[in-house]
Amino acid sequence: MSSAQTIAGAGRATRELEMYFGPQHVGMVGNFGIVLTVEGDTVLRARANPGYLHRGFEKLMEYRTYIQNFPLVCRLNVMDPDPNEALYAMAVEDLAGLEVPERAQYIRTIVLELSRVSSHLLWMWAYGNMLGADTFGQWTMGDREYVLDLFEMLTGGRVYHTYIWPGGVRRDVPPGFAEKTLHVLDHLESMLPEYDSLFFNNRIFADRTKGVAALGRDDAVALGVTGTNLRATGACVDTRKDDPYAAYADLDFEVPTRQEGDSYARALVIRMEVEQSLSIIRQALSRLPGGPAWTKTPNPFKWEIPAGETYVKVESARGEAGFYMVSNGSDKPYRVHFRGPSYPTGILVLERLLEGARLADVGHIMLSLNVAAPEIDR
Amino acid sequence: MRDSAGAAVVEEDQKRRIVAGLRECRASIPKQGRLVAEVPRDSLVSLLLLLKADGFEHLSMISCVDWIDAGELELVYHLWSYEKKIHVMAKTRIGREAPRFLSILPIFRHAQTYEREIHEMFGIAFEGNPRQVPFLLDHWQGPPPMRKDFDLRGHAKETFGVEEKAV
Repeated sequence: MSSAQTIAGAGRATRELEMYFGPQHVGMVGNFGIVLTVEGDTVLRARANPGYLHRGFEKLMEYRTYIQNFPLVCRLNVMDPDPNEALYAMAVEDLAGLEVPERAQYIRTIVLELSRVSSHLLWMWAYGNMLGADTFGQWTMGDREYVLDLFEMLTGGRVYHTYIWPGGVRRDVPPGFAEKTLHVLDHLESMLPEYDSLFFNNRIFADRTKGVAALGRDDAVALGVTGTNLRATGACVDTRKDDPYAAYADLDFEVPTRQEGDSYARALVIRMEVEQSLSIIRQALSRLPGGPAWTKTPNPFKWEIPAGETYVKVESARGEAGFYMVSNGSDKPYRVHFRGPSYPTGILVLERLLEGARLADVGHIMLSLNVAAPEIDR
Repeated sequence: MRDSAGAAVVEEDQKRRIVAGLRECRASIPKQGRLVAEVPRDSLVSLLLLLKADGFEHLSMISCVDWIDAGELELVYHLWSYEKKIHVMAKTRIGREAPRFLSILPIFRHAQTYEREIHEMFGIAFEGNPRQVPFLLDHWQGPPPMRKDFDLRGHAKETFGVEEKAV
């Protein structure tokens, strides 16, 4: 152990160590590894090591009919499954020329925003944990359960909902859903000031995160960053406004931004987004139009989609999620490519921001980027 | 938000700029906010440079499609302009045998990861990309698995011993 003695004996003289961080859910929801080169407790280099969740979805989808692919796509992101269902449905609708009833568009908006809230609450739990704020984390995780109850009532599933499908949604809202949703919204709105006084206005949180892992607007765009991470650098960019889908064009909401681009700003943008999402759900519920919730699609066993290609995108909880779908006129997609917002942030941005970071900050820097490993690996 | 009449003008204008700036370029507007431009392989970098100068600063992703019957691989570069709010699919095709293509790293830095994945999944070598190392697959020795001629069922049977069941 002569080298270890060198560290102890020679004061400032240290040596580089290669360290495997993860893949067991350290600092990220989902299995994901980073190889860190550290000197003392300073990170010199970081190399992302994805692939632990690679399930080959894009290849599998080429072997399955359009209806068989429907329960597959939500698995692209465990925390925020509904945007992927919406993307798949939108891509198929675009290629097949299906019209979606207005009622379905509003229900989709409600489900997508509930999914965003549930994803953000789960993120707050993980982020709070990384900074030692366990009580805060347990509050948000507990409140997320109420959102999952709503999903259970609406779709039958708590985590994966398999609800938004081509032509609309799988079934109409059940009686009592609106009242229960309003009750949950009231509760969440009453909890947000509590979160603030416990965590977001807390001096310890600010001291740990201000100025850590900062990214400028131009750098963020050059590295393909979207979503809350980009809005934390001052860019007012949101697919819901720029390329509206579902019922977002009819609803009134703001896009919260911050200027600093650091871990602190990213967290505050997510916190402010929850408030906007709750307001969107309220508006959509109060304006829910009548009519059918699904346009009948052809027999799923004989459904052939006309040849063509399309790119559709939505604003998921993490940023721009997109589907590139190519059909050759058969009953299975010829090629599907999924763009996860975590893909750029989880590899190049993470590697760059970790350089020079303290070892104790690695977990919370990873979390501040809100990376979902299953989106990278697919 | 833009009204639909204003939108069509922006897309038509961008289409004219692309077709005027490049030879042998085919461009179309499939719907509002979408633009497709197809060019021969030699012109792709010029097309991307032209688009970037026109404000298309966000590279959403790079897709690859294996058109096995035509013996070609198609590369699709998805670009978005935050000002014009148009999504452009810049496409080109290259031969399927021992495919090589130019890396676009000098234009879009984070193309590195997409090219790395396409190298692994479709076997295209990108000249100028320093990081064409394994990405998602673990100790993979077989052919590029996202190609259409990869025998998925045979691979599953060989690796996991799945038996064919009589239905």
